[in-house]
Amino acid sequence: MRLRREDLYHRLEPLLGQVEKPSRYLDHEWGAIEEQDGPFHVALMYPDVYEVGLPNMGLSILYSILNKVDGMSCERGYLPWVDMADLMRAHDVPLLALESSSPIASFDVVGFTLAHEMACTNIVEALDLSRIPVRAADRAEDDAIVIAGGPSVWNCEPVAPMFDAVLLGDGEEALVQMCACVSDGRTAGKPRAQILLDLSRIQGVYVPSLYDVVVDDSSTRWGYAVPRPGTGAPEVVLKRCLQDFAGTDPLPHRIVPYMDVVQDRLAVEILRGCCRGCRFCQAGMTYRPVRERPAEQVIEAAKEGLRITGHDEVSLTSLSTTDHSQCAAILHQLNADVRDQGVRVSIPSQRLDSFGVDMAAEVGGSKKGGLTFAPEAGSQRLRDVINKNVSEKDIDVAAENAFRNGWRRMKLYFMIGLPTETDDDIVAINKVADHLLEIGRTVVGKGPKSGVSVSISVAVFVPKSHTPFQWCGQLRLEEVRRRQQLLLHTCPDHAIKISYHDAEVSLVEAVLSKMGRAGFDLIYTAWRHGCRFDAWTDEFSFERWQEAAAELGLDLEDIASTDIPLDRRLPWEHTSPGVSKGFLKREWHRAAQGVTTDDCTMTSCVGCGVCPKLGVDLAIVGDRHAGHQ
Amino acid sequence: MPDTSNQVRLRVRYKKDGRLAYLGHLEVLGTINRSIRRSCVPFAVGNGFARRIRLQFSQALPVGASSAGEYYDLMLTQRLEPAEALRMLAGATPTGLAPNAAAYVSRKLPALEAWLNRAAWEVRMPRFVAPHDLDATFSQLRDAGELRYMRGERQKRIDLTSALVGWDVSTEGEDLLLRLDTRSSNNGSLRPQILIDAALAKILPADGDAGPARVPLRVCRTGQWHEEENGNLVKPMPSQEE
Ligand code: SF4
Ligand code: SF4
Repeated sequence: MRLRREDLYHRLEPLLGQVEKPSRYLDHEWGAIEEQDGPFHVALMYPDVYEVGLPNMGLSILYSILNKVDGMSCERGYLPWVDMADLMRAHDVPLLALESSSPIASFDVVGFTLAHEMACTNIVEALDLSRIPVRAADRAEDDAIVIAGGPSVWNCEPVAPMFDAVLLGDGEEALVQMCACVSDGRTAGKPRAQILLDLSRIQGVYVPSLYDVVVDDSSTRWGYAVPRPGTGAPEVVLKRCLQDFAGTDPLPHRIVPYMDVVQDRLAVEILRGCCRGCRFCQAGMTYRPVRERPAEQVIEAAKEGLRITGHDEVSLTSLSTTDHSQCAAILHQLNADVRDQGVRVSIPSQRLDSFGVDMAAEVGGSKKGGLTFAPEAGSQRLRDVINKNVSEKDIDVAAENAFRNGWRRMKLYFMIGLPTETDDDIVAINKVADHLLEIGRTVVGKGPKSGVSVSISVAVFVPKSHTPFQWCGQLRLEEVRRRQQLLLHTCPDHAIKISYHDAEVSLVEAVLSKMGRAGFDLIYTAWRHGCRFDAWTDEFSFERWQEAAAELGLDLEDIASTDIPLDRRLPWEHTSPGVSKGFLKREWHRAAQGVTTDDCTMTSCVGCGVCPKLGVDLAIVGDRHAGHQ
Repeated sequence: MPDTSNQVRLRVRYKKDGRLAYLGHLEVLGTINRSIRRSCVPFAVGNGFARRIRLQFSQALPVGASSAGEYYDLMLTQRLEPAEALRMLAGATPTGLAPNAAAYVSRKLPALEAWLNRAAWEVRMPRFVAPHDLDATFSQLRDAGELRYMRGERQKRIDLTSALVGWDVSTEGEDLLLRLDTRSSNNGSLRPQILIDAALAKILPADGDAGPARVPLRVCRTGQWHEEENGNLVKPMPSQEE
C-alpha cells in the first residue's frame, strides 16, 4: 500500500541516541537539496549504509539532474545499519528518505543502484523495511514504481522479480524520460500495466514482467527470456549510451557529508569507459566506448567543486584515469593551482607502467600507504590469456621507478582460478613479488631498515556476463584452497605478505552472476535466513546461504563451477551492452590461444560492435599512447 | 618555512543544535574545517606534510549533546574585520553549527581545549525519580570523592570533589531539569551522563543483569569559561559580545 507522504523524523529521532553513528540518518548536509516540492517525487536508494552510498557518483549525477527537472523532486535513501533497521522494525517506523523524512513507500518512483551482486539481499531488506511489496507482481495499482540501474545490471535476472523496470547503461537522459513516462501515465490515470508497457518503449529500459523465461535444449538450466506475445517488448534491450559525455555537468558531486564516508573527497569523473579489453572485466565491456572530458573542463570543475564543497582532496575518477589522453597536463595544472591551499589531488589505482608511476609521483601524497598495482596474473602466458597487456618489463620498470620515487611498499592484486591457470601460474605470482622485492632492495638498499615490502592480495576469479569469460565455470572451493596453500608454501620471503579475499563470498557472487530469474528465490530465501550486508565481512554468513540453497535443493558450488557450452543461449542475452556475442566468442578463442587484443583507443577499432550497434563513437580529446615514456 | 609572525588568532563561538547535536566530535571538526574552506576567509595552513588548517577547538561534546557555546580558534593570514569574518563563516556553515560571535585573541593564550576548564550544563530527563532523591545522591557521590566508571572496556576514574562544582535539580512540566557546573583538569572532565548514570544506579533497583536501563537525556552545554587560580571566571570572548 502506498504510504502517505509526511515528515516522520519525530519517529526516527528517539532512536538516534541508541544506534552507532547517528549521523548516518541526519540529512541537512551542505549541498543537499532541501526543497522537495514535487509534485512528482523520486527516491534514489543505495542498498548499503550511508557512508558507502553517499560517495556514489551515479547516484549524485541522477539526484542533481532530476532535481533540476520542473515538477520533479528527488531525494536520497540508504539502508540503515542493522542496529537501526532492527529498532525501526521494533518501533514500527518504515524506511524514510533523507531530505523530507517521508516514507520511501510514499514516493512515485523508487530507484535502486545495482552496485554489485553482494547487495542483492540488501535490496530485499530495503523494500521490506519500506513496506513496499518485495515482488513487483505483488504491487498494487498505486504502489511506487520500483526501478533499478547501475553497474551491475548486466545479469539482472536474479533480482528482476523485484523491479518494475531496469535501466541499462547511462542514466542521464533515460532516467528523466522514465520518470516523465510514469508521471504522465499517472496524470492520465493509466493503469500500472499500461505504464509498464510505456516504459518498455523507452530505449534501454527492460521491463521484466513482459518477458517469459523459457528453458529448453538451446539454453542453460536457467533458460532465457523472451517477450510475451502481444506486449511489443523488444527481444533484446540495448543499453543507453550518452555520446556527449563532455556535455554533461562535470560537478554533480555537491553534497558534503558530516560523517567520514568511504571516499571523503570531491570526485570529478574525467572519462567514462575503458577499452583495454581485459577479458575478465565486465566494466570494461559494458561501459564502452571511451568518452573523455577535455582538460580545461576537468580543471575548472575541480576548482569550482573545491570552492563549493570545502573538501581538501579532489579525486579524478574513472575506470582508468591515467589513460586519459591529457592526464599529465590535467594533474600538473591542477596541482599547481590548488597545492597552496593544502589541497591534494588523487587518482585511483595505478597503471602498471612507468607512466602510471610518474602520474602517482605527480600527485604526490603520502608514500606510506604504498603503491597499488593489479597485474592480475603471475605469468606472462596467463596475462596474455586475460589480455592484461602488461609485460614483465613494464612491471619491472614501473617498480623501479616507484622505488626511486620514494615508495617502499608495493601492493599487488592478483586473481586465482583464471581460465587455463596451472600451478606454474600460481608459483609465478610469488616470482613477480620476489622480483619486485629484489628491485626494491637494489634501489633502496637491503636490511629491515630499508622498509621495502611487497604484499599480494589474491581474489578468486568470478566469471561475469557479457565478458569473453562468461562461459567459464568458477574454480571449486577445494581447488581454490589447494592453490592458496600452494601460493603460501612457495612464498620465498618473509617480506612478502599474502592475503586472500574470502573465497566463499566469491562463490556466492559467482552463483548470483550465473543464475537466471530463478536466482531470486535463492536471494529471497537467503534474506529470510538472515542474510543482509553480505559485502561486509563480519555480516556475511556462508552458512545461511548454504541453508537457503539446501532449502531450495540447489548446490551453490555446482552452479558456480559449471562451464557453459559456447552455443547455448544465455540467461542475460536479452539485456545487451552492445558488445556482440561474436566478438566475445572471438575473444574467448584468442584467450585460449594466448593471443592478445589491442586497446582500440590506442590503435584502431577491434570490432567489439558497440559503436556501430549504438551509433556512438570513441570521444578522445587528445592522443593516446600505449607506452607513454 | 613561511613566516607566520603576522598571523592573527580569531576566536569564533558557535552553537551545536537541532539534528546536528548527534554529530560526533570528529564529525564537527571535519564539518567546520570544510566550512572554513568554503567561506574563503584567509585561513592559515600548517607546515606539516598534511598542510592542515591551523585550527583548535574547545573540549569535545558527547554525541547527542547540544551546546549554546562552543569555540574554535582559527589562525588567519590577514586581519579581517571580525564581523566580516563572522559573516563569511556563517554563510558557509550548516545552520546547526552556525557561528554567532568572533573576536581576535592573543596568540599567547594556551590552547582552547585546556584553557576552557569550566562548563555549565543543562540536562533534561523524564521525571521518574524524585528531585530530592537525585539531589541527595549527588551529595553522597561528591562526598565519596572518586567516581569509577566504564568507558568501553576501560575503567576510568574521576575525582568529583574537584570535577563537580555544583548542581541544581528542579522540575519543569513532565521533566526533571538539572543544572550542573563542572571543572576539567589534566585528570579528565566529567560528562553529565556519567554522573547521572552513577546516581540512578544508586536510586533505582538494578534492572536484571543489564543494570539500570539507559535513561534518555537531553544534554546541553550552556556555557564555558576559564577559571583562574583565584577562582575568577574569565569569559572566552574578550569583547563586549557577552
Ligand atoms: S584496465 Fe582492464 S580491468 Fe581495468 S577497467 Fe579497463 S578493462 Fe577493466
Ligand atoms: S566498436 Fe571499435 S572503436 Fe568502438 S568501442 Fe568497440 S572496438 Fe572500440
